[in-house]
Amino acid sequence: MTGHPQDLPLREQTAAIAAGDLDPAELLDATLERIAERDTDLNSIAATFPDESRRMVEEAPAGPLHGVPIAVKDMFALPWRAPRDGSDYEQIPKGESGVYRLLRDAGAVIVGVTNMHFWGGGSTGHVSAYGPVGNPWSTDHCGGGSSGGSAAAVGARIVAGAVGTDGGGSIRLPAAYCGVTGLKGTHGAVPLVGYTHRFSSLGSMGPICRDAADARLLGEVLYERALQPGGAAGLCVGIVRDPFWNDIDPEIERACRDALDAAGWATEDVELMGAEHARAAIVLRLTLEALPAVHPEEVAGADPLMRALLKYEKLLPARHLMKADRIRALLRRELKQAFERVDVIAWPTVPAPAPPIADTTVELPSGPSPADPANVGQSGIGNLAGIPGISVPVGTHSSGLPMALQLQAAWGREPVLLDAAEHLERATSRRFVDALPPMAAAAAA
Amino acid sequence: MDALERYVRAGLELAGEEVDDIDIAVIRAADAVYGPALAALDAADLSEVLPETDLDPSRPPRPL
Repeated sequence: MTGHPQDLPLREQTAAIAAGDLDPAELLDATLERIAERDTDLNSIAATFPDESRRMVEEAPAGPLHGVPIAVKDMFALPWRAPRDGSDYEQIPKGESGVYRLLRDAGAVIVGVTNMHFWGGGSTGHVSAYGPVGNPWSTDHCGGGSSGGSAAAVGARIVAGAVGTDGGGSIRLPAAYCGVTGLKGTHGAVPLVGYTHRFSSLGSMGPICRDAADARLLGEVLYERALQPGGAAGLCVGIVRDPFWNDIDPEIERACRDALDAAGWATEDVELMGAEHARAAIVLRLTLEALPAVHPEEVAGADPLMRALLKYEKLLPARHLMKADRIRALLRRELKQAFERVDVIAWPTVPAPAPPIADTTVELPSGPSPADPANVGQSGIGNLAGIPGISVPVGTHSSGLPMALQLQAAWGREPVLLDAAEHLERATSRRFVDALPPMAAAAAA
Repeated sequence: MDALERYVRAGLELAGEEVDDIDIAVIRAADAVYGPALAALDAADLSEVLPETDLDPSRPPRPL
């Protein structure tokens, strides 16, 4: 085999191993070497554990991911490591999380845990006990959050597959920033055992990969079901203009519209009553669900900014949460009705490209905005509803950073999203899923 | 001292929390970002929206 094995997509790695053309132990060593050489500026991997990874290689059963390295977000208990959640603290004891068991039983090799936004509480990834997560397209820009390390590692061709979690957009948002494909599953599709945020009614897990075919392969393992490919040419796409297309960087808006045009899908305008309150509702649910899980000693050890934000959350009136839950009920009913008319709904995953790590303000047509409220406004409705969603790369911004379209479907319809993503890839001649970030392109050259 | 600072100081004092100038500055900034959306939600008339008493986010809502 010529070239570095991590330049192959996940499905080609598994095929090469099955054919005897690639040795899993050599693949693991090559991956660890790539982490060492490529992750210094990126900071996508929080920790590796070569001895345990080698043991997984030796004991790997036959399975759909036999012998391939997978990175997992630092929110899952491993038998040898307690998850930190982007903090200095062990959040829950080490052990066999559901994600660990699924990957192990599929023959995968966990090669490292990925860096992430502190406590999963941000869409930029620039706040972490392990340092900020960089973007493979420009390492002084944000890799995103909270699953930023997972997205950045895949984008940089450090690993071909990673597991993320998404409580308010945390798979889809960093996938968009890093130019990779991120699938948030339907709520509850992956067992919550050994997951630091198992208390959440919003969180869901999913694969982050280079393209939809790889996401299908890893997703079938995580969701324990076949995600059979089907046709996507005849889909009907709902366009929810207000508020999700209202305040978008013009280049991103154009790229998303061009991608939808290239796909050739029928489109229909969809209105969702209550959508204007989705951002407030997701922020309330996200922050207040997490509050009881914060350990007092962690508050004492937190940085002053986090301590102050926790105090702010304590001052939020209870009636706000009750109203948020009414909005959630309304939106779930509205979406159920919408999915009787359209197959998927579509809008830009993020309203602006990844901001610099030094200043996480994004520029919107309405003016500058902190990245978090702008991003969660695009993604949080999916978490409130519990529906699956996928972010697909659809362009490169004039800044050199990726742009992405988000598609969401009804509960359990992950296969439709993967079909749609593959259709988009073909419609755009795979230009954006196969594009190499500068750090990878330089090495390939 | 404006209304926000009085509210923050009094609310946190009642909760037994200490307050410093960093807290006030951060909470003021957070309120500037999220406050308008929260106020709009607070002002929304949702009296006709029935809550989902058997919420299961993994499934569509049951018919009313």
